[in-house]
Amino acid sequence: MTETPTELTLTLDGEQVHAKDGETLLDVCRRAGKEVPTLCAEDRVDPMGSCRMCLVEVEGQRRLQPSCAFKVQAGQVVQTASDKVKRHRQLLLSMYLADHELDEDDLPRERGTGNQLRQHVLDHGTGPKLPAINAPREYRMENNPYIHFDPEACVLCNLCVRYCDEVEAVSAITLAGRGAKTTIATADQKGLLDTTCEMCGGCIAVCPTGAMTEKPSLASDFREEEVVRSTCNFCGVGCQVNLHTQDNKVVRVTSPPAGETVNDGNLCIKGRFSMEFIQHEDRLTQPLVRGDDGALHTTTWENALKVAAQGLMGVKEKYGADSLGFISSSRCTGEENYLLQKLSRAAFGTNNCHQCAAT
Amino acid sequence: MQKHNANRPAVMDLLEHHGGLAPGVSAKVSEETGVPEADIYGVVSFYTLLAKPGVARVCQGISCAMAGSDALADALQAKGEPYEKVSCLGYCDQAPVQIDKDMELTKHGPRGSITPDDPALPINLGGQDDASYSALKAFEGMDPDAFLDQLQGSGLQGRGGAGFPAWIKWKAVRNEPIGTRYVVVNADEGEPGTFKDRETMLRRPHRLIEGLAIACKYVGATTAYIYLRGEFPAPRRALELALAKARPHLGGLDIRLTMGHGAYICGEETALLEAIEGKRGMPRLKPPYPTQVGLFGEPTLINNVETLACVPEIVLRGGDWFKNLGKTEAGSKLYCISGHVEKAGVYELPLGATLNELVQAAGGYVGTPKAFSPGGASSGFLPMEHADTPLDFKGLTKVGSMLGSAGVVVLNDTVDMAAAVRWQQIFFEDESCGQCAPCRIGCRMQRQAIDAFIESGDVASLEHTEDLHWEMEEGSICGLGMVASLPLLTAQKHFPSEFEGS
Ligand SMILES: Cc1cc2nc3c(=O)[nH]c(=O)nc-3n(C[C@H](O)[C@H](O)[C@H](O)COP(=O)(O)O)c2cc1C
Ligand code: SF4
Ligand code: SF4
Ligand code: SF4
Repeated sequence: MTETPTELTLTLDGEQVHAKDGETLLDVCRRAGKEVPTLCAEDRVDPMGSCRMCLVEVEGQRRLQPSCAFKVQAGQVVQTASDKVKRHRQLLLSMYLADHELDEDDLPRERGTGNQLRQHVLDHGTGPKLPAINAPREYRMENNPYIHFDPEACVLCNLCVRYCDEVEAVSAITLAGRGAKTTIATADQKGLLDTTCEMCGGCIAVCPTGAMTEKPSLASDFREEEVVRSTCNFCGVGCQVNLHTQDNKVVRVTSPPAGETVNDGNLCIKGRFSMEFIQHEDRLTQPLVRGDDGALHTTTWENALKVAAQGLMGVKEKYGADSLGFISSSRCTGEENYLLQKLSRAAFGTNNCHQCAAT
Repeated sequence: MQKHNANRPAVMDLLEHHGGLAPGVSAKVSEETGVPEADIYGVVSFYTLLAKPGVARVCQGISCAMAGSDALADALQAKGEPYEKVSCLGYCDQAPVQIDKDMELTKHGPRGSITPDDPALPINLGGQDDASYSALKAFEGMDPDAFLDQLQGSGLQGRGGAGFPAWIKWKAVRNEPIGTRYVVVNADEGEPGTFKDRETMLRRPHRLIEGLAIACKYVGATTAYIYLRGEFPAPRRALELALAKARPHLGGLDIRLTMGHGAYICGEETALLEAIEGKRGMPRLKPPYPTQVGLFGEPTLINNVETLACVPEIVLRGGDWFKNLGKTEAGSKLYCISGHVEKAGVYELPLGATLNELVQAAGGYVGTPKAFSPGGASSGFLPMEHADTPLDFKGLTKVGSMLGSAGVVVLNDTVDMAAAVRWQQIFFEDESCGQCAPCRIGCRMQRQAIDAFIESGDVASLEHTEDLHWEMEEGSICGLGMVASLPLLTAQKHFPSEFEGS
């Protein structure tokens, strides 16, 4: 039997709010619509509390506390926008800026699908401008076709690493080095293709700054992109995808946010990166039938199906039903696979049917 | 994600065995342990002794730097021998020092001294180590609550730096629900200026083991770990010998020695737990505290070497006796002293002794003293006006410093404060674990600020030091970042004329 967590009350910025035992202060802040900035928080992985953006003031605590990890308690008095919290945010942002690639406006460079650090700077302001620290990062990944990593834009929130471990269970990447030299690396700095990496691109999806980005989409400016919701048709799972288009061409694929769709924010290498087939010149876009001249000619669906049915029936009549075999694609849904085996067994009378993903 | 039966705690020893940070080693250790290769690479690149194995090391910590360790580095350079400059080796009393690839001391100054044999002292480094385990036997005959009363009455505060009352942690771990629990000894002594645990383990290892055995019996632990600084091969030998000799007295208690691999931050108790578990030594968020969620997720009592070494005599002679040894706070205390004094070393004095009293025990000042650090790099600098201030936990906090590990370093007027600050800030930049932004970025910034000031004489280089300190203090995860600016800030405060610029 699961116990229902006890309800409790705390004071958040002067107002009484309800919470459940086991929740974090960030959970409560979000529900109450408080603007608490974060970089290293993400619902799919355990809180790390290392980016320090989400610190709030908790009465009775000597120092500010990370709301992403600090648990609610009955009677707690919490401030999310006190002078102390504000001073902290601005100074911390000043420090981040000194360790980040900036654009002409001295703001964190935008890349990928945006940079949350930049947004925090715009939303909360900064303290004094601090000199760049030019951190000596010795570790860099090599080439691979899909994932670009720029250490100078990385805030070391460690989300990519935690995602790769906790969600994908792959652990291809790690925090490496120590102190200001810390960076994201692979074992021995091998290229991702030589690691356990599955090129799911989840590290890109969780990266708050765009330090990890889609290599094929590097040239695309996300503000120019239109987003179209679709269903990935590489397999039968039915992952929801957002196709980012420019001039009617797909330039990037992302997942809708975690928690909203069946894929919970995740995609695989095919869904995220195999977008070029959509615009590929070899892609079949209408039915074709081979004519007596040996070449393929466009035709109607009606005719194409008729020709196929005639051909199959002809083979059956001449050589028997078991001379036919039906193989369905792994891109088919369960329902489609059912229909195909029914076609095979009931319409043509053979048990020679298979699905390419079944071994 | 690691395999279900992965042997993570073996990672570090295997990495050492296979040669540390070299191509292919992470893959090999991954195969042997079931821990992902990338994770292992993350570990090997974190610890200096693994990341750069097989080289000589020269200490550039403040005491060694003042004693001329640059000359040692220059000599190695001239010979073309590979070496690494490190910011603390734990031998400030014998400065300047150099160790070889096996961590053995190869170059050092005169050996440090200690307080001569005095049986009235609870630790008494100068006495004959006693392997009778009579205190353990006495403890076994005691009612646990009566023992706790003695421990509480003794006023024993943790000697690792924070001064937290020992009895509260002991009681908390004992009172955790039935199940596995651990006791962990923090023997990672790495605060520049501190070498008291080293001497305790070398000279009185049975005191530590006996205190540890009492702790285990009291909290109900059957396995204990001693996490020993990697640069301490001699204390390791002493402990191993003593552990072998102690075994018949320990009733099956499993005491494991885990070696550090070059990371000051692993002295922080939760980073230390991570290191024993075979991970990067990055401190955990607190709460939860180790007394509830500690080693391998189990309730864990963590104490410093000296804290545990005080316990046998508290059992034998009582809490009041121990308490009354102190001056302003309870008990006697091992004070380390190095720098510009005649006889650097470890002196056991009443807690609350002053700098002048300590230096008297150490044979007097060398030259005209100007400043001192009462508790290692983390305590910043104080001017000589405080030479008669009691060196205790509460009092020093009031003057913006701290007793910390009681690693006292004296600077005379030949030392330029900006240079002294620089040595300490290099230490913190080198030793920040890098997980949280205020410390990772701030430590480097403060070091760059003092460098820029020394180079240019321009006070503008120092204009943000206070803001940075505020944010590092307020926003860092652990104590390292919180105090890492103190050398710079306290020097600016107490020696303003040296930071006026040119
Ligand atoms: C950065 C940092 C370094 C520390 N280094 C040590 C150390 O080398 N030895 C030690 O005993 N405690 C060290 N501590 C304190 C420990 O976290 C912990 O408080 C102590 O081991 C508890 O034991 P005690 O109560 O007996 O002092 C350090 C703390 C911090 C924040
Ligand atoms: S692409 Fe996926 S598997 Fe590869 S490093 Fe990123 S998160 Fe890990
Ligand atoms: S690459 Fe992105 S997700 Fe990974 S640590 Fe850096 S900022 Fe965080
Ligand atoms: S304060 Fe420094 S040493 Fe401590 S957790 Fe943060 S980065 Fe690591």
